[in-house]
Amino acid sequence: MTSNSSEGAQAELPRAPERFVRALWGFELRVAPLPTPTNQALARRPRFVGKRLWLPASPLVGVPGSFNDYLFAACAHISAHLRFGAPRFEVKSLKPAQIAIISLLEDARVERLATAQYPGLQRLWAPYHQARAEGAKTSSSLLGRLARALHDEAYLDDDEWVNKGRQLFLQGHRRWHDTNLCRELGGVLGNDLGQMRVQFNAKDYVVQPAYRDDNVGLWLFEHESSADGTPFESEAVRRIESDQAPKQGERGAKTNPARHGSASEPASAVQSAATSEPASVTRHAEWDYVIQRERPAFCSVRDRPIAPGDAARVASTLARYAAVRKRLERSALRLADRRPLQVRRLLDGDRLDLSASIAALVAGRSAAQPDPRVYRRLRFLLEPPALLLLLDLSESLNARAPRGSSTLLELAESASSLLATSLASLSSDFAIHGFSSNGRHDVGYCRFKDFDAPYDEHARARLAGMRAQLSTRLGTALRHAGQALATRKARRKLLLVVTDGEPSDVDVHDPEYLLFDAKQATTGNRRLGVTSFCIGLEANAQKSVHRIFGAGNYTLVDQLESLPSRLAEVYLRLSA
Amino acid sequence: MSEGLLDSFRIRDEPYYLAVADEVRLFEAAYAARLPVMLKGPTGCGKTRFVQYMAWRLRRPLITVACNEEMSASDLLGRYLLDGGATRWQDGPLTIAARLGAICYLDEVVEARQDTLVVIHPVTDDRRLLSLPAKSEALQAHADFHLVVSHNPGYQSAVKDLKPSTKQRFGAIEFDYPARALEVEIVIHETGLSEELAERLVSIAEAARRLKGHGLDEGISTRMLVHAGSLITRGIEVEAACRMALVQPLTDDPELVLALQASVRACL
Repeated sequence: MTSNSSEGAQAELPRAPERFVRALWGFELRVAPLPTPTNQALARRPRFVGKRLWLPASPLVGVPGSFNDYLFAACAHISAHLRFGAPRFEVKSLKPAQIAIISLLEDARVERLATAQYPGLQRLWAPYHQARAEGAKTSSSLLGRLARALHDEAYLDDDEWVNKGRQLFLQGHRRWHDTNLCRELGGVLGNDLGQMRVQFNAKDYVVQPAYRDDNVGLWLFEHESSADGTPFESEAVRRIESDQAPKQGERGAKTNPARHGSASEPASAVQSAATSEPASVTRHAEWDYVIQRERPAFCSVRDRPIAPGDAARVASTLARYAAVRKRLERSALRLADRRPLQVRRLLDGDRLDLSASIAALVAGRSAAQPDPRVYRRLRFLLEPPALLLLLDLSESLNARAPRGSSTLLELAESASSLLATSLASLSSDFAIHGFSSNGRHDVGYCRFKDFDAPYDEHARARLAGMRAQLSTRLGTALRHAGQALATRKARRKLLLVVTDGEPSDVDVHDPEYLLFDAKQATTGNRRLGVTSFCIGLEANAQKSVHRIFGAGNYTLVDQLESLPSRLAEVYLRLSA
Repeated sequence: MSEGLLDSFRIRDEPYYLAVADEVRLFEAAYAARLPVMLKGPTGCGKTRFVQYMAWRLRRPLITVACNEEMSASDLLGRYLLDGGATRWQDGPLTIAARLGAICYLDEVVEARQDTLVVIHPVTDDRRLLSLPAKSEALQAHADFHLVVSHNPGYQSAVKDLKPSTKQRFGAIEFDYPARALEVEIVIHETGLSEELAERLVSIAEAARRLKGHGLDEGISTRMLVHAGSLITRGIEVEAACRMALVQPLTDDPELVLALQASVRACL
């Protein structure tokens, strides 16, 4: 029914390594998959800048052991840098070889300090040190052997330079907490390597062993000097910037043939076009009642960024509804108390009510009429449903309520913040989304509060930034919301829709078309286990919401000022 | 007969308890003032052991009630039973303690329904009176009677809390996992592990406790460390023992299991 192109080429990284780092050191990392390099020949290495981490999302070639262990090893290494590392070194006049050697010594230093606290890390890293004292003495092999020599005291090497490096490093063990140590030793070893006439090629150099980061996070590269600086540093800076740059620019530049196609274009063309869409676009089918068929991947929904408003204003308007809020909070609390209720003294139940049975027996013995209600039963209450409040944010919401000073938009905003405030203390299993459309290629979707996100200052600021504009392509929004809701674990899923009239959009001239589509979307949602309920904002909305949601699945609010309390009532009634 | 009944609740041998702060002194003073005591703290940090130790120290019998949803007031106070052709009143645990002068310990008190707990109100203020409406009796509590409750404020939600009117009758002592050196000592004492191994187990616990609120509801408790230690002293390999006693009971989330196991390996 939909093609979701947000599932791109990047696989998801497991979350276990992040948790591992938190368990070891108590800080949080932000892990993202490492972008695939343009130069395929270059081996990939993890990278960190501050507490942002990039890890390969798939196993690297030639790396032994399980991929999970590799990720743990990489995270343990980088977290050791973060825990024990120096402030980033300045490059100044250092040569590429010196930078590589200083980084290598720094790697060993932080690993030693980390193993002092967690001795098992030594075993985690050991399998990746595969350098051996054989073969040509190129700079890469020597650096790999030095890395192993510093890691593994049992390792034997015949090279004088490697042994000197190990000796200097071990002799300095009292200074392992000194962040200048590696700079000093690295300078010496770098000069030695130069005098041995061993070539160091920064372009081909890849850090060994494979779990270690590419050293970018250790150095402070001066942006100005990078143009005439070493290839080593300019490459690093360039790559960081290209990794971090958002891909916004590409979106506008790409012209998608599907956007200008006619309604009767073949489905296959749409499908193939969908693959080249930018990541945040989700496509949904649309029901065409004329041909009695679904048009696959016909409408594009994209998340619209929300300019935050004044969160304090939301809080102050909320004060007007203090009484409703109190009632709502109390009911919500009752709703959340999922403990079973004992119902005693029943004629029929799952087990004997001991005190009632004894009373009945006593009554029998004393020739009184025994009370036959001697059973009890546990009554389990339904859990509160997962809730998605979907707001129609089309232009018509800017109208003022007939007798009031508030616009419909302000009322919708108060209603959502009232509901959110009351529910927030109990559960985060609710979301507040809104939509407005500008033709089928541009259905905008705003997430004011998402599932599992806290209802905090940011969420309130987003609510305060609510804008009403454009049109109402209701069916597409219903599908999008229904699918988000369908992934929730709660047994009941409730989609509350607040809309002010019948669906319409700029590219549709048949008023029946979107109406039938919205009805179809509601049916589809029901199949996904999502119950829809609509709050119509005007008496003349009745005809359309009745047709879309069906009798009994909507209510109309004629006194618009009462929308916030009505919304709350509807929620309570539906969740009890 | 009553002495015989109480005797079964007496604690004969000194339970091992290592004081973490001044909780022993506080409890003794509260007992002297007959101020009911609430012990707060995460599961497995030694609340129950502490009560046992204090009962032994004060030479009072200890009657423990594990609270649950289904518990009713008559489960605490007592009820009429049929006995041959007549009825006989059977005291509940709270009534026995109040009548004969024991320490009554309500473990995990929030698990009991709030309306059930109201029966402790009159016996926890200066009246020290236990009212038994079914028996039409107002029982004046024994001079030695003392009420202790425990609860774990960590994992209960807003709906599972005590009423303020219940809470305010107690003096509270807060417990947490012992400081590193003490926890090592406890693990060594309870399991007979070497100091080095005990240190490593405690490091594992400290690592897991950092994940509390980041996927874990509760960290590894001292009790779990003792479990792991007793598996190790029975010849189980350290990593397997940690997996069984520390990692698997804590979570079912496969990613967390991986993270915890990696932490275990890092500590060993």
